[in-house]
Amino acid sequence: MSALLLVLILAQARLASDFEIAQMENQLSRSREFEAQLSGRLNLGDVRAARNELSLARAEYVKAADLAERERLDARRDSSLTRYANATAYAALAQAKLGREARAFELLEEAARYVSDDAETWNLYASAMRILGHPRKAISAARNAVAVAEKPLDLAVYQHALATALIETGNTTEAERLLVTVTEALRSAKFALLRGQAERQESFQIYSSARGDVAAYVSLLNRAQLRLAALYETRGALDAARTQYTRVLDGRSDDVTALAALARLAPNETESARLYADAFQANPFSMALIREYRKNPVTPGTDMQRALVHLDRGELRAARVIFDALLEKFPANETLRALRHEAEPSNAFKLPSATPTASELRALLDAFERLTAEQRTALDQATFTSVVTFDGEEGSTFASGTIDGVPFRFTEPTIFDGTFDTTARLTYRILGVGENDALLLEPLGLENVR
Amino acid sequence: MKRLVFIALLALPIFAQVLTDTPRGVVVAHDHRIELVNGWNVAGVEHATFITANEDRVTVLDALNNQAAIVDLASARVTRVRTAETPIAAIFVKRDLYILARDARVLQRVGGTDIPLAADPSHLAQANGKVYVYSRASGVLQEIGGARYEVPPFASDFEIAGESFYLAYPREGKIRTGQIGRMGPIGPISEVAVGAVPVDLAFAGGGTALTARILAVADPSAKRVWLTESTQSTAKAVARGFLRGFLGLGLFGGRASQFPTGIDRVQTRGRTWIAYDSSSRTLYHFTRRESTVLARGVAPHAFALTANGVAWWNGTSVAEKRLR
Repeated sequence: MSALLLVLILAQARLASDFEIAQMENQLSRSREFEAQLSGRLNLGDVRAARNELSLARAEYVKAADLAERERLDARRDSSLTRYANATAYAALAQAKLGREARAFELLEEAARYVSDDAETWNLYASAMRILGHPRKAISAARNAVAVAEKPLDLAVYQHALATALIETGNTTEAERLLVTVTEALRSAKFALLRGQAERQESFQIYSSARGDVAAYVSLLNRAQLRLAALYETRGALDAARTQYTRVLDGRSDDVTALAALARLAPNETESARLYADAFQANPFSMALIREYRKNPVTPGTDMQRALVHLDRGELRAARVIFDALLEKFPANETLRALRHEAEPSNAFKLPSATPTASELRALLDAFERLTAEQRTALDQATFTSVVTFDGEEGSTFASGTIDGVPFRFTEPTIFDGTFDTTARLTYRILGVGENDALLLEPLGLENVR
Repeated sequence: MKRLVFIALLALPIFAQVLTDTPRGVVVAHDHRIELVNGWNVAGVEHATFITANEDRVTVLDALNNQAAIVDLASARVTRVRTAETPIAAIFVKRDLYILARDARVLQRVGGTDIPLAADPSHLAQANGKVYVYSRASGVLQEIGGARYEVPPFASDFEIAGESFYLAYPREGKIRTGQIGRMGPIGPISEVAVGAVPVDLAFAGGGTALTARILAVADPSAKRVWLTESTQSTAKAVARGFLRGFLGLGLFGGRASQFPTGIDRVQTRGRTWIAYDSSSRTLYHFTRRESTVLARGVAPHAFALTANGVAWWNGTSVAEKRLR
C-alpha cells in the first residue's frame, strides 16, 4: 500500500473520551511528519464530530485540508508525483469532511489520474464519496480498491469500505457476505501476529485514519463487527447480532454502539438499564445513543440520562439544572447546547386551568421566572383546586405533597380544621417555586375526597 | 508564502466551471448557468464538470448529480437528461450524443440504449466515425459496436488518431501505442519511455502523408512538454513496427519547452499549444522555444483553444487572448 494511513469508514457513533482527545493532541505535538499530523487532525475532527462538537470538528478538518494542500504543493515542487497524488487524495478527503463537494471531486479525479493503480487512492475516493452522500460512486471506487489490493489487511479494509457503501444503497446481501469474509479473516490464524501485537500493546483505540497495521487491525475489526451485527439485527437474527456486539466489547469494553445495541436487545430492564448507563458513561453526547434512550427510557444511571428523563416528562427546570452543570464542563458541546435549547420554556405560556393537570403545573413551574407582570397578577388572583397526596400520615397538619406527581409545599406546615386523609381535595393559590422545583402554595381549603 | 497560497486555494469558487469553443463562440458553464459569450444565458447544472460541443449543440455534464444539460446553440433551448452514475465525458458522433457514465460502467447513447463497459471506463474518443472507450482499471479498449481489446491498465490519458491509439502511463514513465481497426486482433502494442511522468497527450502537428505525427506529452515531474514523433504513416509504421515508429523521440528533445511549474495537461489546435498546471492552476502558452504564463487561478476544465487563440474563465467572466 503506497499510502501510510489506512482510512476506515466510520458511521457508528464512537467513544470519544477526553483521554483519547488528549492522546491525539499529544501525537500532534510530538510529531512533525505529514502523516502523523494529518491522521491526528482527521481523527480529532472525527472524535469531535462524534461528540457533536461540530465547530471544533470543522476546525480540525480545516487544519487537515491545510496540511494536505501544503504537502501537495511541496511534493509537486519536488517533482515527487506519487507523494503529490497521495497528498491530493487526502486533501480531497478533508474537503469532503468539510462538505466542499466540487473541490473534493476535482482533487479525487486529479489523484486518480496519477495513480489509478493505487488501491488506497480508490479507498480514499470511496470514503470521500460516502461522506458526501454518493454511495453509488463510493461503491465503484471501492470495487477498484478491492480489485487492486495486495496485502490481506488492505484487502479487508477495502472490502469493509465496499460493504459500507453497499449497505447505504440497500444491497445488504452482498454487504453481509463481505463483512462475514472480513470478520472471519481478521479473527483467523492469518492475522494471529497482528492480534498478538495488539494485545501486547494493549491497543484499543479506534481510528478513522489509522497509522500502522496494529491500529488499522483493531479499528477495522471493531467497525466490521459492528456493521455485521447491525445487519444481523436488522434482519432479525438477534442471537447472531448479540454475538457480534459481544465480540466488539471483548476488544473494547466501553464501545458505546455495542453497549447501546446490547441494551436495546437485553432480556430484561435491569440489564438494559445497566448497559445504557455504561454506554452513557462511555459517550454521554452521542446523538444516536440519546435518540435511542429517549425512545426507551429505562431507569437512568447517569446525569445525562436523568436530564433526558426530566426533559421528556416536561420537567424542564430540572433538566436545565443538569444541562447547565454539564455545559460548565463541556462548553463547546453542541449536543448539550441543543438539549439545553430544547429545555427552554415555550414563550406561548398559558396560566393553568382552575383544576390544573400535571402538565399545566409543570409548564408553570418551567415558565415561572419568565412570567409577565400581567400573568403574575392573574396568577396571584387565581384559585385552583386539585386532588393532592400529602406527605406523612392522615391528620390535620400537612406541609408538602404532590399533585399528580408534581411536588408542592406550603410556606410553613399548616393545621387544617378537621382530620383528613393523605389524599384530599385542596383549594389553593400558587405563590411561586420553592426548593427542588416544588410549587409553593397558599392553602385556602381542604376536604376529603370521599 | 505557503499560507498565502493556501488561502488562495481555499478561496476557490464552490462551483466548478467548464468552458469550450463552439462555432458560435465560447460557451462557459458556471454558477448554475450556461452562457454563450455575447449571447444567451440559460440555467445550467449545479456542478459543471465536463463540456463538449459540436456544430449545433453544447453539452454540460454534472458528474456529481448525474445530470446533463444539452443546449441548442441557435435557439438556447435546453434539454435536460438524467444520466447513469457519474457522467465524466461525452462525445458527439454525427448526430448522436454519447455520455460515458463511469460508475455505472455504461456508455449511454442519448435517446438510445446503454452499452455495458468494463470496470472504470475513464476515457472516451472517436476516430473515423467510431467511438472508443478505454477502461482504466480493467485495461480494456472497446470499440463501440466492434472489437474489445486487452491493453495495459492504469493509463492517465488515451488519444486516438487515424488507426493509431496512444496511452500515457505516468507511473511507468511510458507511452504505449497500437493500431486499431481493420479486422482481427489489435496490433502489437509498443511502448517507449518518455520523460519521467508522462501524464497527458495531445497531437502537435504532422500526421500528413509526408510528415510524421508529433505528440506533445505533458510531464509535470520534468516540468516539460516533450515533443515526440509518432508513426510517420500507418503503412510505414506497420512495416517498421510501432516501437520504431517512436524512434523520433527526442527529435525536439533539446528544444523541449520548459515551465516554471509542473504542467500536467496539454492542448493543441493547429500551431497553437497550451499547457496547464493543476497544482498551481496556471495556464501557459508555449512554443518549441519558450513558455509564457497566460493566467493563474484557472480551474482544470475552464479553458479552451479557439480559432484565434485561447479563452478561459477568470472567475467572473471569459477572458480571451489572441495567439495567432
